Amino acid sequence: MTSAEALVSVRSASKRFGATDALSDVSVEFHAGLVHGLVGENGAGKSTLAGVVLGIHAPDSGEVCLDGSPLRLDSPADGAAHGLVGVAQELSLLPAMSVADNVVLGTEEHIGPFVKRRANRARVEALIAEHGLEVPIDARVGSLPVADQQKVEILRALGRRSRLMVLDEPTARLASHEALELRRTVRELAARGVAVVYVSHFLDEVLSVSDTVTVMRDGRVVRTGPASAETHESLVEGMTGRSIGDVFPAKPPAPAPDAPVVLRVDGLCSARVDARVIDFSDVSFSIRAGEIVGLVGLVGAGRSEVAHTVYGAARADAGSVHLHGDHLAGSITDALSAGVSLIPESRRQQGLIAQRSVRDNTTLPHLADFAGRLGIRTRPEDRAAAAACDRVGVRRPNLTAPVATLSGGNQQKVLFARAVMGQPRLLIADEPTRGVDVGSKRSIYETVNEMADTGCAVLMVSSELEEVIGTCHRVLVMRRGRIVAEFAGDEIVEADLLAAAFGKAARSTSEAGDQE
Amino acid sequence: MTSRALPAIRHYGIAAVTVALFVLLAATTDGFLSQANFRNILDQQSALLIAASFATITMIAGGFDISAASVFVVAPLFALQVENATGNAALAAVVGVVVGLVVGIANGLVVTALKVNSFIATLATSFMVFGIGFLVSDRSVLRAATDAYPAIARTRWLGITTGAWIAAGVVAAAWLLLSRTRFGRHVYASGGNAEAARLAGVPVARVKTICFALSGAAAGLAGVVSSSRSLSALPSDDFSFVFGVIAAVVVGGTSIAGGEGAVWRTIAGAFFIALMINGFNLHQVDPIWQRVIQGAVILGAVSIDAWTQRREH
Repeated sequence: MTSAEALVSVRSASKRFGATDALSDVSVEFHAGLVHGLVGENGAGKSTLAGVVLGIHAPDSGEVCLDGSPLRLDSPADGAAHGLVGVAQELSLLPAMSVADNVVLGTEEHIGPFVKRRANRARVEALIAEHGLEVPIDARVGSLPVADQQKVEILRALGRRSRLMVLDEPTARLASHEALELRRTVRELAARGVAVVYVSHFLDEVLSVSDTVTVMRDGRVVRTGPASAETHESLVEGMTGRSIGDVFPAKPPAPAPDAPVVLRVDGLCSARVDARVIDFSDVSFSIRAGEIVGLVGLVGAGRSEVAHTVYGAARADAGSVHLHGDHLAGSITDALSAGVSLIPESRRQQGLIAQRSVRDNTTLPHLADFAGRLGIRTRPEDRAAAAACDRVGVRRPNLTAPVATLSGGNQQKVLFARAVMGQPRLLIADEPTRGVDVGSKRSIYETVNEMADTGCAVLMVSSELEEVIGTCHRVLVMRRGRIVAEFAGDEIVEADLLAAAFGKAARSTSEAGDQE
Repeated sequence: MTSRALPAIRHYGIAAVTVALFVLLAATTDGFLSQANFRNILDQQSALLIAASFATITMIAGGFDISAASVFVVAPLFALQVENATGNAALAAVVGVVVGLVVGIANGLVVTALKVNSFIATLATSFMVFGIGFLVSDRSVLRAATDAYPAIARTRWLGITTGAWIAAGVVAAAWLLLSRTRFGRHVYASGGNAEAARLAGVPVARVKTICFALSGAAAGLAGVVSSSRSLSALPSDDFSFVFGVIAAVVVGGTSIAGGEGAVWRTIAGAFFIALMINGFNLHQVDPIWQRVIQGAVILGAVSIDAWTQRREH
């Protein structure tokens, strides 16, 4: 791979945003006809690098070369004019217009103010035939499945004679069979000589579709090499700078089979409030003292809804929840006083009162503990809040700082401080480490383990299978509102979890995809 | 430097500006620095302070109560009917407060149970209450029949009227309630992020209902104090009282969006406006121009609030 062959090469590019180095001294080459995977954690610089290639960001230093000669791109339109096109995470299509209209949008052939409908249509038909991307040409884009919409977006890019195409998280919103089809499309594009840059969080997908992979961390390229030389583990290690074992502390020992059952859920069914609510039915499981149980499934499978119903934040139509044998009536106050704590999925929308102080956010559910004759006794309150924050490692300027001024990881820890303070018997943690840096992740897992060690039962809802595998004693898999599988101990393996989450049919297609 | 100075200015700005205005008036205006003038200002502000201190709490909880004006007008009509019939001024005062409490509870239930926007809900109840005022008074001025009723607010104690003492007591109660109690924390949480508050076990609907109930009762008491000062009450559909209340709350720096604010801010805002008007009067500024300037000041206060909020985020 000499630079003479490269279609686009980025040479020692650096880019700062405010105080952060989004890219430092990055050099990469993208070759025609190859799929180039780009992986890294959030903030590693993948999107910035793509932006530099597409003309969205101008590098502070270094250069971008096309066919070996330096290129100055001032805008995405500039990039597009040179055949460098991005397909965004959020599709930029007009849902009310037809496929053909969307593909030619902005480049319609016309006579004066009049659009030449037939000529445009012919152009789109030719594109579809040339690239084998079957889409119903007259269909309204809004009525198509997401995978087809993605094809429309790709067709639009191809219609502009793209030589390099950046696909940013193209499968994030796709079902598994659609993702598989998209991978085929990507290989097809490469076979026709397009340089494809494939940015994705799904490492196995990157490994199966790419020829070359670049691993990024903290704005730097860790390494670029053939995809065949990488494994899932090697990519994680490169992205995080540590092996998977470093992120996850050792699990506490699984509870003895005769450990008391803390939570028992029997035949729980969601109340149908309106059509938008995801419903679930006949959910039964139990958790023993000291046990960490994962609840996984695809988005919309009903995981968070089960968590909320157990907590009393959503109503149930049927079924029961028992905590240490006592029936929970189904209100948040009952759950709290019985010793249930919830870490909600979104800390900004459901967790924290942003303007209020660290202390106020920590003690909010526990204020009754500090009731005095003249209102809240703030001295013991301050002491207790400080103790709880110290226990989970909240780094803070002081207790009176508005919680919004803390980093994401520390904000998340404030929620854990709040939970720890109630000395719960059951902790429900919904996406406990979403949007949190690696260091905070580890300390959050340590907190969870400590709580389990002291006999707390933990229900962990998570979309990150790695997290579930690294921390849980037992995992329940949900699909379409039902628990469809359960794995314990060594049976907790990514492939099996995925297969159960997607259902059997999808499992066989994804295996077929992996053999490709 | 600005990043550190800004929150401080934002935090104590209204207090500093009020003190500055006080010093300015003291230095430039004859007749300002007199006991009689201060006593007058205090007495005149008593009704507004009573209503505004609890309106502040409602606004922090994320509610907007515009019905204070109607309660302020109508509660004394009920009170004076009772006083005229029984001659019992204490009972009359209690009735006035209860009328406000009932309207407030109704507002709270409409807002929380029917999930109607609180501005619209209290606007609607305002019209109903104003109408009831005409019914209960038979469209005429009601006057106090005893000496006891005027005495509620007009008695001097330590040189200050009981109206002002009542206001001081109500302000202190609201202040303590908001800053020292569990309920106060729940108010901030409900207004700051209702969903997060709910999931943390805060009974958000109950908190909001209580806020509306208390601000209704406070508006009723304000009406009683005001009618006791003026010896009479008149049915009307005049919204101007609540605009004064909201002006004091907002100029003080309590956020219309909820979740932020304090009772002391409203006190500072009320006195800022009162001093300004006092200064205008002593300088014999045309009342029509006073309104224009007053409006500009409110606009300025809200703009500064919006600007500093933008800078913070």
